[in-house]
Amino acid sequence: MSKHLLLVCAVLLLSTFPAAAQKWEIGGAAGGGFYTSKDVNTPGASASAKIANGIVASGWVANNNGNVWGGEFRYDYQRGDLEVSSGGTKASFAAQSHAVHYDVLFHFAGIESHVRPFIAVGGGVKRFEGIGTEVVSQPLNGVALLTKTGDLRPLVSVGAGFKVNARRFGFRVEAHDFLTPFPTKVITPAQGASIGGWLQDFVVSAGISILF
Amino acid sequence: MFRRLFFYLVSITVASSLATASGTLGKVVPIGGAAADLALDEARGYLYIANFTANRIEQMSLAKNTIQTSINVPSQPGSLSLSPDGRYLVVGHFGNFASPGSAANALTVVDMVSGGKQTFVLGNPPLGVQFGIDGRALVVTSAEFMLFDPVTGTTQVLDTVTGLVAKTLPVDNGDPTFPPNIVAASLGISGDGTKIYGLTDQFQFSYDVNSTQLTIVGYVSTPPQGPRVVSVNRDGTYYSSGWTLNDRFGHLVAEFVDPTGDLNIGSHLIDSKRGVVYAQIPATTAAKNAPPVLIVADAANLRVLARYWLPENLAGKSLLSSDGNTMYSVSDSGILVIPVGSLDRQPRVAADHEDLVFRGNFCDRRVATQQIIVSDPGGGNTPFSISASTSGVSVSPSSGVTPASVKVSVDPNVFQNQKGTVAATLTIISTKAVNIPAPVRVLVNLKEPDQRGTPVNVPGKLVDLVADPSRDRFYVLRQDTNQVLVFDGSNNTQIAALPTSNTPTQLAITFDRRYLLIGSNDSQIIPVYDLETLQQLAPIIMPGGHYPRSIAASSKAILAACRVAGPVHTIDRVDLASRTASELPSLGVFKNNVDANTNLTASPNGATILAVSADGTTMLYDANVDSFTVRRKDAGALSGAYAASSFNQYVAGNKLLNSSLVPIATFETGTGQSSGFAFVDQMGLRTNAPDASSPGVIQRVDTTTAIAARATRLAEAPVLGDKTYAFTRTVAPLYSRSAIINLTVSGFTVLPWAYDDSVAPPKIAAIVNAADLSTAVAPGGLISLFGTDLSPVNIATNELPLPTALGDSCLTVNGLPVPMIFVSPGQINAQLPFQSAGNVTLILRTPGGVSDNFNIVIQPSAPSVFRAVVEGYDSPVATIVRASNQALVTTSNPVHRGDVLTVYLTGMGQTAPAVESGVPAPSDPLAIAVVAPQVSLGGVSLPVLYAGLAPGSVGLYQINVSVPHNVPAGLSIPFKITQGSGGTTVQVRVVE
Repeated sequence: MSKHLLLVCAVLLLSTFPAAAQKWEIGGAAGGGFYTSKDVNTPGASASAKIANGIVASGWVANNNGNVWGGEFRYDYQRGDLEVSSGGTKASFAAQSHAVHYDVLFHFAGIESHVRPFIAVGGGVKRFEGIGTEVVSQPLNGVALLTKTGDLRPLVSVGAGFKVNARRFGFRVEAHDFLTPFPTKVITPAQGASIGGWLQDFVVSAGISILF
Repeated sequence: MFRRLFFYLVSITVASSLATASGTLGKVVPIGGAAADLALDEARGYLYIANFTANRIEQMSLAKNTIQTSINVPSQPGSLSLSPDGRYLVVGHFGNFASPGSAANALTVVDMVSGGKQTFVLGNPPLGVQFGIDGRALVVTSAEFMLFDPVTGTTQVLDTVTGLVAKTLPVDNGDPTFPPNIVAASLGISGDGTKIYGLTDQFQFSYDVNSTQLTIVGYVSTPPQGPRVVSVNRDGTYYSSGWTLNDRFGHLVAEFVDPTGDLNIGSHLIDSKRGVVYAQIPATTAAKNAPPVLIVADAANLRVLARYWLPENLAGKSLLSSDGNTMYSVSDSGILVIPVGSLDRQPRVAADHEDLVFRGNFCDRRVATQQIIVSDPGGGNTPFSISASTSGVSVSPSSGVTPASVKVSVDPNVFQNQKGTVAATLTIISTKAVNIPAPVRVLVNLKEPDQRGTPVNVPGKLVDLVADPSRDRFYVLRQDTNQVLVFDGSNNTQIAALPTSNTPTQLAITFDRRYLLIGSNDSQIIPVYDLETLQQLAPIIMPGGHYPRSIAASSKAILAACRVAGPVHTIDRVDLASRTASELPSLGVFKNNVDANTNLTASPNGATILAVSADGTTMLYDANVDSFTVRRKDAGALSGAYAASSFNQYVAGNKLLNSSLVPIATFETGTGQSSGFAFVDQMGLRTNAPDASSPGVIQRVDTTTAIAARATRLAEAPVLGDKTYAFTRTVAPLYSRSAIINLTVSGFTVLPWAYDDSVAPPKIAAIVNAADLSTAVAPGGLISLFGTDLSPVNIATNELPLPTALGDSCLTVNGLPVPMIFVSPGQINAQLPFQSAGNVTLILRTPGGVSDNFNIVIQPSAPSVFRAVVEGYDSPVATIVRASNQALVTTSNPVHRGDVLTVYLTGMGQTAPAVESGVPAPSDPLAIAVVAPQVSLGGVSLPVLYAGLAPGSVGLYQINVSVPHNVPAGLSIPFKITQGSGGTTVQVRVVE
């Protein structure tokens, strides 16, 4: 991770400590991520660039800072190959991402409730990493280049879900939409090509946490 | 008294010099008698040796290779075998001994646990004994095959035989080295103990231990099947017996060349794990009293892979230790222990070249030098000396210790009157090496401008040439390595080497153009290849004793002219579908009795097959009537060319024959001996030469008048026949009609189709560096010439050093010959000599004449990065390679910070040490560029790790750089090389 990423992590961790006297939660979840695609255009060709659907693993430390408000610091790991396709031709390249972000949670039921629906919104950073094997000639390399490198991008997180509390354990099901600027260092438009905008990553997961 | 003493002194001196002339392989273990048979007991660490004359079984320690103890047994132990469980040693006593011997025929069973011995009297002399995996011993006597159970002492007769005459021991003929230790039969068993094969004077047999099935096959052999030894591979699928290698059905797959047939000299042993046969087979062609030689041969076709000196003759059975490391052989003194598993660690010497080719030309009359490396393949320091057979060829140094570089020099002035190719020999000898190093053939050719053709070196003995009738390929038969060499007709490069049977003699292509058949002199099978895939198919099995020396395929029949092990040589008919052949009962109305030296060839339209025999006979097979229709003898002898046309004309030697094989014309003989003839439509191409070192001549023949016209001198002589192989096929017009291939002294010579047309003089239009085609060029750099009529043919060479004439073209820079890589009518690739500098004039000479002067300026340095065409990219890619994945830098394989890169380029000028033009760059020491380059990426200087010639290449330089972490990233970052006043820039992608 870069220095920027570490700095953001430190800030988010510190922001949870003032609420340390309140009820805490440590948890983990697994699920799947689903990216939207973007068009890459050159004067002679166009293609669709995206990151393939993949598994997601998350971990969080949460603080229920009141009856309905809460906050959590969260890490998400996601696998998903880089992909460019046009017509019947497709190029792919192994990739993964790491995201850290802080989300503020608003619960629609009080802290003592058994079932607590919530919505979340927050922000952080996400690092995309191309980890595949480089080859001399990649399909569609005249349009976009799938690259073995890293690309750190700001991240906006919105989500919703519900928690089920049972004594010292909590269960939750949730959905998030992570928005980042398109990672052009790992999916690089070729000379004369353009690609931009925001990339959406819908993540659905289910998890378990320890409450204390 | 004085004379006798003198004789003794000389004898001692000669014997000493022979003994110290070279190293020898193996350790002799004398046994004080004559060894007759062996059995290996690795569990107890002993080799048991039947000492025939001392009446005992010697026990040789496998650890110390010394005789430790002996087991006394009754008289004349001639054979022995150890049971699979190691419990019983059964010894056969050969009692049919010529007077004064009087021993009994018997078997002795030695209990190896208790030490007890029991002897069973036999009615007939036992010739061999061999245990199978079932614990019973197969005993072969002069009258029967028996199974002997050592536990009960009972025998069971499997079969009786007649005519298996027990051989009395060889008569002492006064030769003091004559080992009387072989009896008439020998047995061998497969490594898995399931198959026993045997050889007697009159038949071979096989015994399947599991099914107790005995198969006996009679044979006739001249010379006799000696050495009288049988060796079987691991699973019994093939075996060697006498001087033959056979498959499990007894078909003769290959035979050792020119065997003497001595029963009691030599041995052989199959090593299944390595796929080789170790053998000493005395040859009739060897010098009298020549030291014994062990050959290591390919078990598939007996191709000789290596030769080693032996300290004494082998003389019977050989066994291999289970780890495959040690061969134990009966020998003159008793046993010879040969470390076959460590042959690669024995002191040896070998040269790194089979042929060394010196091609001078009318552009280049300098003394030429080349280097060969004499090394010990095992990496040792072995002394050697080397000498040349011909004056004008010299070596320096003439002796040394491996590894050593030897400079071979040829003085063209000595050969100035010799316009063909002169073949000299470099002989390497060593007092320590145990191997017999192959000599190096030195080929010197100084052709004149009028001599046509581009010789392409192919080492070895080449005996036949055929152009593929439907593919742009041609096939050359290399006899000394049992290979068909397949060449691409478009660029004359070898694309495959197909193994053949032993001593291949002739090629044939089936009429459907699908299969290649290969005749041979020392095998009774015909290998078959699919010409589309070049994969070997099931071979054709010939009748017993028939060696298919020549094959031809018509539209109706495939015929093979066979040397037959018998009084009559025949023509056989081959059935490709069943993979069999059968002797024709008659050749039409003629007897099927042909000269052994008979060659066949089919007309291209498949209508006829011409047979020509060295005794002067010609015959014609007519496919329409499926029979021979003509047989004539119009000459006392025939030799040289033979050919059949699709227009009912034939050539035999110097005669042109009509459809009845009546000679209708005789070609001129003033230009030499007939070598090759090829019909091209209704015209003919004919080659002759007075001898092998003359230029030779190719003529066009008008087949209507038989007048040979437009005689053109060749660059070197076509291959000529000899007594063994009287007929030669040396001209092959390619299917594509792009060239005419000629089998010649140093390999083959490529002639353009219109080789004798008048040729326009060459015109040079541009000279650029070969890397990026820019005009800046430097000494030692690779260049490309563009123009017209630069060469009559397309040809690339892989000869090193590069020739200074190629495809009849030669180029000079201010009179200095230019090494050439590739020539074609429109382009030549070459290396600028390192001595060239400043304003220079280039002149190209071709058969069409001399070009106008072309003036260029040669820069001290002009670095230019080579470009490679990569699929997926519109424009060529600069040849920059990432060390981390050894792949070209492209946009999808970008430069990473921290990478190490290798740039391949030319034009970096002089090096230290200096390297001769046309010569590959050395690796130790490296040839470093005198003017150091600076390299930058995105303006950031890159540390240069190496800059100089790429080792092993000519004119190719490389720069190795590391990429620091502060280079900028981007899609198109300038990669800049600056050297002196020259420089070049390419764009690369860089990522973090």
